[in-house]
Amino acid sequence: MNATLSFAPVVAERDVEVISRPSLSYWKDAWIRLKANRRALTSLYIIIALGLFTVVGPLLPFVPSSSTQDLDQISSPPGADRTATIVAPYAPWSGVTVNVPAGDGPLEAPASVSLAGEATTQAVRIFWDPVPGAHGYRVYRNIAHPAPDDALGMPLADVLVASRVSFEDRLDIKPQDYFYSVVPLDRNGREAPVYATVDVSAVRVVTAEEAVRRGLADSAADLAIGDEVRLALHLLGTDYLGRDMLSRLMHGARVSLFIGIVAPFLFILVGILYGSAAGFVGGRVDQVLMRFADFVVALPFLLFMILFRILFKIEGGDSGIAPMLIAMVILSWPAAARLVRGQILQIREEGYVSASRLLGAKTPYLVLRHMIPNTMGVILVTITFAVPSAIFTEAFLSFIGMGVAPPTPSWGSMCNEGLKTMLTHPHELIFPALFISITVLAFNLLGDGLRDALDARMRSQE
Amino acid sequence: MIFINSGSRRFGKRFVSGALGTAGAASEAPGSRKGIAWLGEGSQLFILSVLGIGAFVLLMALLSWASELSGVGGAGEAVDPTTGTITLALTTEPPQLDSTRATDMVSGQILGHVMEGLVRYDEFNRIVPGVAERWEIGESQAIFHLREDSRWSDGSPVTAHDFVFAWRTAVAPATASEYAFILYPIKNARAVNEGELPVTAFGAKAVDDHTLAVELERPIGYFDKLVAFPTYYPIKQDFYEGRDGRYGADAIDLLYNGPFIIERWVHGAQLRMLRNDAYWDRDRIHLNAIDYAYITSDVNATLNLYKDGKVAIAGLDAETLHDALEQRWKLERFNDGSVFFIEFNHRPSRLTHNRNLRKAIQFVVDPAELVYKVIKLPGNTPGESLFPVWLKGVNGYFRQEYPAPEHRVDLARAHDYLERAKQELGIDPLPPLIFLSGDNPAANKQSEYFQEVFASRLGIEVKIDRQIFKQRLAKMTAGEFDMVLAGWGPDYADPLTFGDLFASWNKNNRGAYVSAELDAWVAVAQSSLVPEERMQAFDEIQKIIYDDAVILPNYERGSVFVRNPQLKGVVRRAVGTDPDYTGAYIVDG
Repeated sequence: MNATLSFAPVVAERDVEVISRPSLSYWKDAWIRLKANRRALTSLYIIIALGLFTVVGPLLPFVPSSSTQDLDQISSPPGADRTATIVAPYAPWSGVTVNVPAGDGPLEAPASVSLAGEATTQAVRIFWDPVPGAHGYRVYRNIAHPAPDDALGMPLADVLVASRVSFEDRLDIKPQDYFYSVVPLDRNGREAPVYATVDVSAVRVVTAEEAVRRGLADSAADLAIGDEVRLALHLLGTDYLGRDMLSRLMHGARVSLFIGIVAPFLFILVGILYGSAAGFVGGRVDQVLMRFADFVVALPFLLFMILFRILFKIEGGDSGIAPMLIAMVILSWPAAARLVRGQILQIREEGYVSASRLLGAKTPYLVLRHMIPNTMGVILVTITFAVPSAIFTEAFLSFIGMGVAPPTPSWGSMCNEGLKTMLTHPHELIFPALFISITVLAFNLLGDGLRDALDARMRSQE
Repeated sequence: MIFINSGSRRFGKRFVSGALGTAGAASEAPGSRKGIAWLGEGSQLFILSVLGIGAFVLLMALLSWASELSGVGGAGEAVDPTTGTITLALTTEPPQLDSTRATDMVSGQILGHVMEGLVRYDEFNRIVPGVAERWEIGESQAIFHLREDSRWSDGSPVTAHDFVFAWRTAVAPATASEYAFILYPIKNARAVNEGELPVTAFGAKAVDDHTLAVELERPIGYFDKLVAFPTYYPIKQDFYEGRDGRYGADAIDLLYNGPFIIERWVHGAQLRMLRNDAYWDRDRIHLNAIDYAYITSDVNATLNLYKDGKVAIAGLDAETLHDALEQRWKLERFNDGSVFFIEFNHRPSRLTHNRNLRKAIQFVVDPAELVYKVIKLPGNTPGESLFPVWLKGVNGYFRQEYPAPEHRVDLARAHDYLERAKQELGIDPLPPLIFLSGDNPAANKQSEYFQEVFASRLGIEVKIDRQIFKQRLAKMTAGEFDMVLAGWGPDYADPLTFGDLFASWNKNNRGAYVSAELDAWVAVAQSSLVPEERMQAFDEIQKIIYDDAVILPNYERGSVFVRNPQLKGVVRRAVGTDPDYTGAYIVDG
């Protein structure tokens, strides 16, 4: 009897198997694997930074408007000196006139060439001793000394009045050294083989009125002639019209990223609907739909882009962004449609779909529960790869002048403008080109990382 | 992306399996020989495609080699003293070389070398005898006595009939010549051109083979300058009619009476001129051949050709100027005589019809800033007037005798005018104005500069409409603009070539400006023979243009170029053939 007491009822042990780790959903798992991929993660950070650059950047206090022209700092590279001296407003110069000494025989060089007043970026005024017998003078300017090979530089002007022995130069004077040479001209306006040179060191100046207008000082009363001010700061320099590069890059990113993100989303959405319809229905419908997709692939993009411009009556002066977007959506969806169709065809034959169907699942359930989630990875990857190509297309079209309307900047149009000054002011090309490259690379690397992360076959590697 | 990957993988696998099959048979054979055995469908496909691509590449190489043999010969050196040849680049190809229909500067440049009119300009821009030995110009008639030794390139003499035929062709309504108006000083030319009179009523007659009598519509003080213009060049009737409408379309479709003949004209690629041995004044010509071996409007490309010693002359722009300075080349500057300006649309339907709006815009525009800070090219001078500085006045230069109205930027006055304009128009704020502009780097830069000037100084928004030249001209004619960046180059060396531009009857008055006062002064300038009276009329026109803000002068265009130091005697000029190589010669060095 006691023996029976030695038996105790079995306590139900519920925790036979303890799941030692929390269950991982597909997305959580993908995120973990993406985090392990340092390239992809860095790219993600770059893309986030780019978004901030575009949205928050233009609000920063030191970023000027993208269309303001700083004509005193045209094409200035980053980190250029920006001190300027306050001077009186420009006043026309009457010049120097003398009695013409008579003379015959070969023309000689002027005895001397001198600087009148101070050489500034506003004007450089020179005068010289008259040459007997000269009928006029030609004034040259160079950035290096003419000796030893008599390279006088660029001819600024002909002074065709013999009694006038002065010249005022206002042509694009930079704060640097210049060498002005004066050559006497004979009766027929031909140069004598002699010249006299003066070297001049121009200083950067700005008028008090101008300084106040640009916000460099509070009131003109605070500024005395000779005071030093610092011109507006341009972190990345300025372009060919003195517009701030940083600000233009920020505004340009808006266009580039807008096209780069909106266009792929739209055409991939179209592609998903089209491809899943073709793949799910299958058969003859599938054949017809996919042959139509093949037909669309064969259409030339540029031609359509131009046709849409005409269709939408895009005149010069209007932005070409809308036709660009529409042309991209209309012509780019077949790639996504083919991809989705392929996936759907494959999934349709999977065992779990058959099982689900046997259990009585309806079509909407099958599509929403099984088909779409399983194609999601492919779709996401396609988007990340479509983004850089869309950015590239926008840059290319703006580059050939079919994109944004001035003064709106875009990276592509900035490259086009920078190309012309590539040799003299490389920063105007390098910065937009760099931004395009980095953005495209970041999206590509992120897409690469996403493809690895979303690949279900790599799942068990924990 | 994925798509392409899987595709290529499949192809690769098929190839590998084929190769494996072969490897079993000849395992020691090197990889390249494995494929030769005709085993497996995959390897066959591979070899076929390799062979196909190889054959294609070979074919292409052969074709390009063949085209090099038969096509354009390689261009020589920039200047070749032994053969007396210079090589140059043309900016564009002339559309055709029929002098009655030519309108562009390149056609003028080529025609000036292969044709000769009654008179021509010499190196100091004086009028000197051409085909005409001497001439008398009276109030109602001009008589030209033609030299007897002037010959066409086929050996036949150039006669007065050739001039009459060419001029009649130019004014004939069927020709639809854009430059027919330049013949209007000749009696009945206008009526013939407008179809009111038969072509026989035209006022130019050949008295005999070497005497040309021209009845004038009105007294004209500059008729000798006018006949130097290309539309006045002669054309031989037999030849013209024998070409069956192709006159001027190709080298063989032209008969030459000028210093050069066109030896070869490969459309889009090359135009080569040879010295014309039939030319009466052949001793004046030193060069044996002028070879336009390149046709490009790209300044950088031309400059690189110059650097490589392939062309003798290259133009520079603000960007290449710096490079040229560092190369320590000798630079030359030249004012091409044309004036560039912002032209307003004066049609009543446009906002710019309002004078106060135009005046407001006038007072914020600073040509000096545009030229010195934006264009940055020496040779350009800030525009002050419709009449450029080089035009001759009574004794000296017109602009020295009659200075342009003084202009200064005045923001307060500008805003004053703008307020009045807004009240008159009853619109506030103003809708965006259409700013028509050319589609080239220089025009882009200027239009964007003006866009910001109008926005920041006046608060007027401007839309830039960039169009290629022909399209811009069509839009200007149709009046589809508010402001346009336009320019005008002189046709003859008299202020009237600018002065009548804004007369209400002028077809080139594309802004459709109408002013009875200006028309009256143009009529004075046209018919008066007293220089003082004419210059006074031009001064009045100059003042009206400023006071009414008909146009806003921007700049007088100049250019900077580099020339091969061995090439001398090249003449650049504002009116007439430019550049002119007829007197050019090569020095050894």
